[in-house]
Amino acid sequence: MGIATSDKPFNERITEAEADKFMRASVAKAQDAQFQKRTEARRQLGNWEGWRDLSAEIRQHVLKHLPDYLEEFSDNVQKNGGHVFFAKDGDEASTFIKELAIKKKAQHIVKSKSMVTTEIGLDKDLLTIPGVSLMETDLAEFILQEDNWDEPTHIVFPTLHKNRNQIQKVFEKLGYDGDNDPEHMARFVRHYLRNYFMKADFGITGCNFAIANNGMINLVTNEGNADLTMAIPKTQVVVMGMERIVPSLKEAETLDNVLCRSAVGQKLTSYCTFSKGKEANEADGPDDFYVVIVDNGRSEMLNTDFEPMLQCIRCGSCLNVCPVYRQVGGKGYGSIYPGPMGAVLSPILGGYQEFKELPYACSLCAACTETCPVKIPLHDLIRHHRYVEMDQLHLDHSMSNTLLKAVGKGTSSPVLFNDAMRFAHIALEPFGKKTTPEDVKNLYPEGKINHLPAVAPKLAQGWVNVRDLAVPPKYHQNFRHWYRHHEEEEGQKND
Amino acid sequence: MTDYLKDANTKQNQEDFLNRIAKAADRPRHTLKDDPFVPVNDLPEKTLSGKSQDELLEIAKKNSEEVHVDFRIVKSAELGHTLNDFIQEKDIKSLMLPSFDEKKWQDYSLGNWQDNLRVDPVYYWEEELGRQNIVNANNSDGAIGFADFLLAESGTITIATYPEQGRTFHFLPTHYLAIIPKSKILPRSRQAMDYYQKAIQDGTLKTSNINFITGPSNSGDIEMVLIVGVHGPLDMEYVVVEDM
Repeated sequence: MGIATSDKPFNERITEAEADKFMRASVAKAQDAQFQKRTEARRQLGNWEGWRDLSAEIRQHVLKHLPDYLEEFSDNVQKNGGHVFFAKDGDEASTFIKELAIKKKAQHIVKSKSMVTTEIGLDKDLLTIPGVSLMETDLAEFILQEDNWDEPTHIVFPTLHKNRNQIQKVFEKLGYDGDNDPEHMARFVRHYLRNYFMKADFGITGCNFAIANNGMINLVTNEGNADLTMAIPKTQVVVMGMERIVPSLKEAETLDNVLCRSAVGQKLTSYCTFSKGKEANEADGPDDFYVVIVDNGRSEMLNTDFEPMLQCIRCGSCLNVCPVYRQVGGKGYGSIYPGPMGAVLSPILGGYQEFKELPYACSLCAACTETCPVKIPLHDLIRHHRYVEMDQLHLDHSMSNTLLKAVGKGTSSPVLFNDAMRFAHIALEPFGKKTTPEDVKNLYPEGKINHLPAVAPKLAQGWVNVRDLAVPPKYHQNFRHWYRHHEEEEGQKND
Repeated sequence: MTDYLKDANTKQNQEDFLNRIAKAADRPRHTLKDDPFVPVNDLPEKTLSGKSQDELLEIAKKNSEEVHVDFRIVKSAELGHTLNDFIQEKDIKSLMLPSFDEKKWQDYSLGNWQDNLRVDPVYYWEEELGRQNIVNANNSDGAIGFADFLLAESGTITIATYPEQGRTFHFLPTHYLAIIPKSKILPRSRQAMDYYQKAIQDGTLKTSNINFITGPSNSGDIEMVLIVGVHGPLDMEYVVVEDM
């Protein structure tokens, strides 16, 4: 799939999202429910700011010494009998795993939910191998797969945009003949996938955190499918973003605690597992254990203003507080990484050309920064993207850009500025409407504008579509005029 | 076709990658030994510390029940009866037990318990059966196992993988019961992690896998409605043995 989930233009995606009332209601419900659970889980832990400080410190320390920690981890995986492959991009990672599946004669591949495997487009690559079947085993990812590889719309709740009736229809194609009760449908999937698990010979998981000092990986899940993926197949491949590493089990434990509370409002999820290839005397677990460490554009953030983004632990809490995500959902962003973290990450991993609008899908309210458990200054990074796009890459060639340049020229020239003041009332007064008793007193003494003709610049039309614009005062009644007159009356000059 | 497989575990593949990111970061490599991680606070150790074992038991009970666990507190003399009740209540027809030796069962006052069971148990691992043991776990509708610790703060049991009680033991059977001595209740995950980290480092524990399990498997993937019981066990019971 890669980073992009849609080839439609941004405005079209937003219009579609706006019309999808079920999705918007679902997102609002999810955000509100998660707010309660997250807040309560953090309150019960106590001293949340202290936990944020510690978590941010762990992540920053790891990034500062990233090559050293990766080296230590790689050495330990190899000491444990495992294999490590460093991939500079998604193609290398995906090709390596495909070659491995062919070498191992894999037939039945099981996967547990992993954002990085979606990012590198792994599933579709593996399905090109003749005779290979592949099953996403996380309930939500399974629904998306069976619904013709539909797009995920949330990094923790990928099927937030689907209702139970739509899901029932997806399962009916697989032989489900029950009702739309979520529990009944989940039992059907349990049975369906259990049969597949039992014949699985090749397992692929993501990695919440890699443990540098013992070569284990840490996975945080709720359903149990990731643990089955690590227990039954003889070969396991772990795919990890290169920044997902911690010094030891202790730091993983700290981050698991803040991750679970931030992601789903649980003290710990049902399963927090620390795992590697099996010991010689153990009965189950993989005989062959591979870790693929992926860069895929991440290193471009190092030593830049965007480096703090690599602190991200993918909890999704920034999505759950974002007022823009609440309105447009995941599909509006057109990226597997939506919401505030996606608005920062997508232009870096997928390119400004593809995702240049995302930093503008933000009100800069900073709720994301406030909730982030590892203290990423998300809204500052979003604002920095705007700076890069405008001042460094000069990406805006629209009418708005020309218009703003004209405004810049006008406001920096006293002659042009005075002329604008002189004619503002005359030019805009015809579009003004009278105020009503409901309007705030004295806000629109000359009337208000809430509609402009189609020939008006889109920038101005957009403005009056969402907020009333006061008709400017007559020239001889404007503030500058009044102030000069006031000075004469007072008999003194105020500088 | 490329052949990336031969690059795995090679020095060149590793060094090319690490040198490239060190260059991108504009920071020298091998500086960690002079700048080890020093935590800014001790919240993981301090939170919920200083509680008595009785207080921890009370907290553990409350938090376990919050995550849909059936929580029982028994004396060791009653343990066998409680396990029999579990088998009967869940109508278990194929019971899986760990393959620990006699001493482990005796430690829990269960030396003769297996002799009078209403079902013939299947033991987790029998060498000659190979991977058929995994099929047996899948066919079991109940498992009774031993946890290492119970974490009061979150209602979590922690279990390392042992040859006698491995990974699939905790995930494939339909119903699951874990036995924990009261003395093994810890305040929170940090204390358990301290134990595992030390035991792995000094070689007293050889394991490939550590599970922290907090209640039965669940999901909110369909309209965010909580479904208890997805891929792992459908329900869980913790039995705390008071006088151990």
